[in-house]
Amino acid sequence: MSTITVLGLVLFALMTLIGGKTGATAFLSLIFNFGLLFLAIVLISWGFPAMGVSLVVGTVILAFTIFFGEDNELAAKTAYIASLIIMVALILLIFPVEHWVMAQGFSLEDSEDLEGMSLTIGVSFVGVAVTEAILSTLGAIAEASIAIAAGLSEIIEQHPHVATKRLYIDGISIGKQIIGTTFNTLFFGFFGGFLALFIWFSGLHYSFGSVINNKIFVGEVLMILFALIGVILAVPITTWVMTLEHRRAAKLKD
Amino acid sequence: MKQRIQQHWGLWLTLIVIVIGLVGVGLTRVNAGLYRQTVAQVTKVQAIDHNATTDEFNNKDVTNTQWVTVKVLNKQHKGRTYRLKNTYTKSQAMDQDYRVGNQVFLRIPSQKKAAITIQGLKRDTTLAFVAWLTLALLLLIMRFSGLMALLSVTLNAVLFYAAIQIDLATNGGHLYTLFGVLAVIFAVLTLWLVLGFSRKMLVTLGATIAGTGIAVIISLIVFAVTHERGVTYEAMQYVTQVPKPLFLVETILGSLGAVMDESTDIVASLFQLQEERPDITASQVFKSGLQIGHSIMGPLINVLFLIFMADTFSMTLLYLRNGNNWGYTFTMNMSLGMVQSLISGIGIVLAIPVASWLASQLMPKGARHA
Repeated sequence: MSTITVLGLVLFALMTLIGGKTGATAFLSLIFNFGLLFLAIVLISWGFPAMGVSLVVGTVILAFTIFFGEDNELAAKTAYIASLIIMVALILLIFPVEHWVMAQGFSLEDSEDLEGMSLTIGVSFVGVAVTEAILSTLGAIAEASIAIAAGLSEIIEQHPHVATKRLYIDGISIGKQIIGTTFNTLFFGFFGGFLALFIWFSGLHYSFGSVINNKIFVGEVLMILFALIGVILAVPITTWVMTLEHRRAAKLKD
Repeated sequence: MKQRIQQHWGLWLTLIVIVIGLVGVGLTRVNAGLYRQTVAQVTKVQAIDHNATTDEFNNKDVTNTQWVTVKVLNKQHKGRTYRLKNTYTKSQAMDQDYRVGNQVFLRIPSQKKAAITIQGLKRDTTLAFVAWLTLALLLLIMRFSGLMALLSVTLNAVLFYAAIQIDLATNGGHLYTLFGVLAVIFAVLTLWLVLGFSRKMLVTLGATIAGTGIAVIISLIVFAVTHERGVTYEAMQYVTQVPKPLFLVETILGSLGAVMDESTDIVASLFQLQEERPDITASQVFKSGLQIGHSIMGPLINVLFLIFMADTFSMTLLYLRNGNNWGYTFTMNMSLGMVQSLISGIGIVLAIPVASWLASQLMPKGARHA
């Protein structure tokens, strides 16, 4: 068996052992998400527009990540609606920024890997860069909005008549608790994976000026910043959606 | 009243920082003087020609040629204008279409006859703009907590840079030791900033280190048993040192933040639980910890998975359009990201029982019986 299969089996066993049914479904969501990511690339390679593909695939990935991981219905629904709003807001930011910064495709540092490859493949790499940026932020958006929605729904459960204004204050305070550690998750997640590149930059004595204008570096930092913006936006937007849901539920009761 | 005045000041301070930041972003348009490279601004673009091309895999593309007129902004050629020919394809994989207003880096050779070439776009303004936007949103919504989050990320970045310098000075000879120690320092520093120095912080730290450590041991065992079949170190990008240790270190660092994130959540909730119900038993604390972990782990593993995989998009696409089959494309581009995601996932899952158990054993005992 290959290493990936065995590692996958170990992870599945551990998730089921420790997480029970939730763990098993969470593992399933991981597999589905992988399938969706691969599907996205295949669709783009067949010539489907990158924007459309990222919107559709993004919507489904968010659904899998949120509904397969969270048992509380109110929290999951709120987190999903909020994540969709945040995704659209981020697309409105990512699209113009990627067309402005032109950090798409490959850089001179990739030359060795590109030997013998045809680069004239007729697919817009700016579009691909947009897709990359959007999909890489989805996990962070989902995680943050779930955390806030779960916290708020617990408060609502304990105090069903909590005032809307109070919910806002609670939402922000939950946000303050998670923001520090979430930032670190993203920082390590992105930068840990690029250790080799940073060693390359330092080893070949790139100047500070070359690094901050380097295609790969800028593309990577922009992805972190987009994810951070997504997480920051998740705080007020999830809270706002939760107040709407709460108000609607209260009206239904009357 | 006093609090209101403080809030007032906080808001003003935030707004001042935001305005100064925006001015800073604007200044990157006129910072050519700070660069060692020659910087020029595109003043005129004229399309010359376009040709449809078809490559050996029947991919259709268009090659465009344009005249780009640039005006030099710094160094000895300052003020001069040049007209250069630029070729770019519709897909813009390695080249790009230049537009009026773009600032670019120029290479002006000392020999008169040699051609002047555009080396690339100056991207600092865009980077500064998005960084400014992030900072502004962070300060407006999170205020002081946002600042602390930023501080810990900045300190970690400085440490990261220092470790790379040490690694280069020692030629990558002590990669494991160096980044192993660094990972512990990262964890101590970050948790200290988030939680302060307390029992809670020590429990979280223990869970983070144990969770990550056991995950690495399990992975090494799996590597040994399966003889690393399907782990294509040769496909690693930007490698200038021995790839395998580099890969493992990348994986550990990549998952460290997520494991800390999760351990913090679990330990903080358990300490709060114990405060609310002082008579709770150790085994109840352990069970509650697992319960909290259930709903955190799925989304968290997905965060890292999507980050690791999105990076491989461009190359995977190129492989597919260059006539490679799905299996080979996956092996060469996505398998490393997959292994990384799986190892991180194992670390994230293992941190749940470790954090819950440590919390159940190390909570202040006095309070429990009080």
